[in-house]
Amino acid sequence: MFKKKKEEVFSPASAAEAYVPVDADFVFKENAGEIEIDTNFASQSFWKEMVIRFLRKKSAVFGLTMILLITIMAIVGPGMNGYSYAGQNLSQKSLAPRIPGIEKTGFFNGDETMHTTSGSKTVNNYKTKGLDDVYYWFGSDNFGRDIWTRTWHGARVSLIIAVVAALIDMIIGMSYGLISGFFGGKVDMFMQRVLEVANSIPRLVIVTLLLLVFKPGMMTIIIALMLTEWVGMSRIARAEMLKLKEQEFVLASRTLGAGSFFIIFREVLPNIIGPIITQVMFSIPTAIFTEAFLSFVGLGIPVPQCSLGSLISDGFNSFTTHPYQIVAPILVMALLMLSFNLVADGLREALDPRMKEM
Amino acid sequence: MKKYIGKRVLTAIFTLLVILLVLFILMQLMPGSPFNDEKLDADQKALLYAKYGLDQPIVVQFVRYVGNMLRGDFGVSYNISKNTPISQLIAARLPVSIAIGGYAVALGAIVGLLLGLIAAFRHDTFIDTLCTIISVIGVSVPSYVFALALSFEFGYKWRLFPMLYNNSQALNSSILPSISLSMFTMASIARFTRTEMLEVLGSDYMLLAESKGLSGPALVFKHALRNALIPIITVLAPLIVDLMTGSLVVEKIFAIPGVGSLLVNAIQSNDYNVVISLSFIYSALYILIMLVVDIMYGIIDPRIRLAKDDA
Repeated sequence: MFKKKKEEVFSPASAAEAYVPVDADFVFKENAGEIEIDTNFASQSFWKEMVIRFLRKKSAVFGLTMILLITIMAIVGPGMNGYSYAGQNLSQKSLAPRIPGIEKTGFFNGDETMHTTSGSKTVNNYKTKGLDDVYYWFGSDNFGRDIWTRTWHGARVSLIIAVVAALIDMIIGMSYGLISGFFGGKVDMFMQRVLEVANSIPRLVIVTLLLLVFKPGMMTIIIALMLTEWVGMSRIARAEMLKLKEQEFVLASRTLGAGSFFIIFREVLPNIIGPIITQVMFSIPTAIFTEAFLSFVGLGIPVPQCSLGSLISDGFNSFTTHPYQIVAPILVMALLMLSFNLVADGLREALDPRMKEM
Repeated sequence: MKKYIGKRVLTAIFTLLVILLVLFILMQLMPGSPFNDEKLDADQKALLYAKYGLDQPIVVQFVRYVGNMLRGDFGVSYNISKNTPISQLIAARLPVSIAIGGYAVALGAIVGLLLGLIAAFRHDTFIDTLCTIISVIGVSVPSYVFALALSFEFGYKWRLFPMLYNNSQALNSSILPSISLSMFTMASIARFTRTEMLEVLGSDYMLLAESKGLSGPALVFKHALRNALIPIITVLAPLIVDLMTGSLVVEKIFAIPGVGSLLVNAIQSNDYNVVISLSFIYSALYILIMLVVDIMYGIIDPRIRLAKDDA
């Protein structure tokens, strides 16, 4: 409308003085610096936005960094000094932490303070035993094994157990929930009753009974975790499925002749991957905790293998006399659990569009 | 409401039966028979089997087994204390565990609720951040780490509380275990209360209540907290159950003569009978707690009660 009016006003006389384009008009202006994209409203891919929101949360980034750090240490840590996780040296047992270089500052110099009823006394077992060139970074345990090596080896074992168990849980729980939610009706009814019964058996009971049947070890712990943790995952998958299955894209896929399993796993599943990953992140600390608890009760990884839980359990026996033996594994485990919780929290918030800031 | 409760009770009973069936099958699968003595010949064994009903069809055995378990007749312990009836062992230990668990739940619920409320009312301030940090740490650090730290600091270094459980000072020696057990409950409840309260405080009916002129305790407790409590009660049930798991380790650390340490001992010494009886007790307790919470949920929230009646 407006444009047309302008053309009418446009007289032939002024047309003669019309602007003659020059070459410079057809060169790129190169003004990328001046242009600003309004990121609040610009459409960005969902995942890119999620990453931005996740990185904006400091606690989540801290958690992720710690997880990466501990994972790297779990891979390279055991090989960083000359000791092996199983090698014992009974003449060098229960030595306090001593680190070359730092020892001069007064920390980590091999001193340990003994508390007795008659007062406390500081001793340095490296000096009394004449071990001048021996360094145990985190100290040595009651059998003269290096706690540094064992801590990182234990972290490796605990992480493997937790991640494998969480992934298997994810597969089982996810499929169960998706199938139950998708078919609905009698199938859903039956599957939910089964789940209710399974959920009413305490985890503790399932785990102890399993360990009566199987021998303690990594596989048994993974199976125990697998049998107990899938319920939460399947609930989430089912709830998401109920939300999505009425949507048009499912109908469209159905109209195009897709089968139920194609719709469940190829159409719906990619859309609910966010909540599922969050749930996996939440189930990893639970798995680490359960493993540690089992080891503490004496049902964990058999010796000489070790996990964070079994290290804590070993250190517990002498934690009043040699507290350093228990500090390192406890710190690593607490940090791991904290970090996974922080990352899971961050992920949940990043994935939840309701929390999107404008 | 009656229909809803009836349905829940039926589910609970069915679940208990399933658990009993699993336990029964496990007992059948255990290697060996109760009469492993080589001196017994076939006739004597048959006599013993007849005496204990082991020659009956498996269904009859199961029915009898269920009856025995429900009556509290769990058989005798094999290894821990030979030939003592398990019901006796448990009866002596259950009150101790329940007392400590009860303290822990009460402490965790009250402190957690307070922390959550403070954090919600001082939203986005330093106090809020502090409460959040406390609750994140509480959720992430296992209860036995707290137990070890507390027993080292207060029990060993400062000698304020006994490091090991002492029957003559039951209350005094329950303090450290209860605190360490309650940490997880406290932290989870604090987190949950905070989120729920924030949601409630931002709702329209709170605005209405405020514009009617309500303020102070009436506003907080009658309008906000009552609505926030509903979801909090649901998380309390699984938390109580987590306490059971935590109690095993904490009881071991403080040498508490409770069911948790009995279970640990039984597992370590392969005393199947005790393990299975305790599994039954734990399951029964768990199912009972879930049932009570579900019914309470219906009572507190009229919406649920009415919706369930329609269904």
